[in-house]
Amino acid sequence: MKDQISALMDDELDVESSPHLLKALEHDGGLRECWSTYHLIGDAMRGSMHLSPGLHARLMQQLEAEPTVLAPRRKTVMKPSFLMSAAASVAAVLFVGWMVLQQQVQSPAQEISAATIAQSNVSPESVNAYLLAHHELSPESGMQTAYYARPVAYTENGN
Amino acid sequence: MLMLFHRFIGLLLVLIPLAALAGASEDDPWVLLEKAGQAAHKLNYKGVFVYQSGRVVSSMQITHMNFANGEFARLISLDGAPREVLRQGNDMVIYNPRNEKVMIEKRRVQSAFPAVLPGLPDMLRASYQVRMAGQERVGGRDGMIVHLEPRDNFRYGYRFSVDREFGLLLKSVMLNERNDAIEQVAFNQLALMNAQDINWFRPQVTPGKTYVMQPEETVTPSMVEGDGWSLSQLPPGFRKVDQVKRNVPGKSAPVHHLVFSDGLASVSLFIETLDKTTPPKLGSVTQGATNVYAGAVDGHQIIVVGEVPEVTVRQIANAVSFRK
Repeated sequence: MKDQISALMDDELDVESSPHLLKALEHDGGLRECWSTYHLIGDAMRGSMHLSPGLHARLMQQLEAEPTVLAPRRKTVMKPSFLMSAAASVAAVLFVGWMVLQQQVQSPAQEISAATIAQSNVSPESVNAYLLAHHELSPESGMQTAYYARPVAYTENGN
Repeated sequence: MLMLFHRFIGLLLVLIPLAALAGASEDDPWVLLEKAGQAAHKLNYKGVFVYQSGRVVSSMQITHMNFANGEFARLISLDGAPREVLRQGNDMVIYNPRNEKVMIEKRRVQSAFPAVLPGLPDMLRASYQVRMAGQERVGGRDGMIVHLEPRDNFRYGYRFSVDREFGLLLKSVMLNERNDAIEQVAFNQLALMNAQDINWFRPQVTPGKTYVMQPEETVTPSMVEGDGWSLSQLPPGFRKVDQVKRNVPGKSAPVHHLVFSDGLASVSLFIETLDKTTPPKLGSVTQGATNVYAGAVDGHQIIVVGEVPEVTVRQIANAVSFRK
């Protein structure tokens, strides 16, 4: 199914001749998410890949035109436990945030040699953005691979 | 059959000019390097290369194609997080999985392995001595070694291996003043492709993950000297090759970014206004062949980054002065 959605986006499949895909997109949340992911990727690569103009609009029109089932929906009542669970989530988020902070405080120190600690507050992580910007504009160096290879370590450490 | 024939002709068309070049230039290292630069852009190839720097070792798979309407490359990291890079010409999109999300980042890039392009041979000749240094086998292929020795201690040395048959760069090693390798990139698998389809040029989509676009920096070319700063003496052989203003998300004032090059090694200088709340970065750090120097002058943060010795980044940082 996902291959077909991808094909639809690449205009290999015709919107009009794929009613089953439209139906699926309308009802399946996962597929809809997949559709928007493909679109985001398409957007990111705009200029790189040739997306057919107006496909998104055409598809959305089709979705709009589909009849909507008008049936009374059961009202959902907010359960009293809602606030409790919200509070619990907030606490969990705070805890995780605190953990992350602790890790961030500790991790750069492991990377820096003793010599640099004495005179420097600069770690590879703290200048990551500058390293990336540098690689973006550096001409003619065979070492630009560092651009691909190195940031793996950076991004795993946060940034 | 007709299809096969077409492929054969296509391959011939690619190989003939390169073969002609190879015949004429086997003993001129400059021409060999120039040819390696062209081959990296023009040929269609697929391979795995390994990047090594200090304790960092990382393998990438590369698929490169020179298609009618431009150059396409897809790189996938084979170690650690499954990062993916799609590149067309100078534009690239990076897919970086992070927990439940995949971050999408757009960047520009100049040249990347195996494209190493000494663009200005005159500049290079002034700063490096070049010689052929024998042969070696890299990734199962025969390579010719070209050694670039720096004429002073403001830059590192390089040892390149160029594929005897394809003309592609097989290996690139950066050497410090003691001739120790400080960074290295080398193919351990390489083959030419003659397919004409471009179906591989798309990222692998991981179902169930959210794809998030990272905020982009806007980069605008700027030709002016800057907000009250000027540059005095640069290290010998280095020339300014680029100057831009970056509007970085989360920063109120733009960052000035200047790039200096000696034809091979390059150094970036960043100048930005310090705001009162953030403490300036001060000091230096070395990562592989990259040296970073950070200093603060007259309310400005100065950061210099480059694949050059520490003395070079320090001298460039000290070359910045502010008019009172």
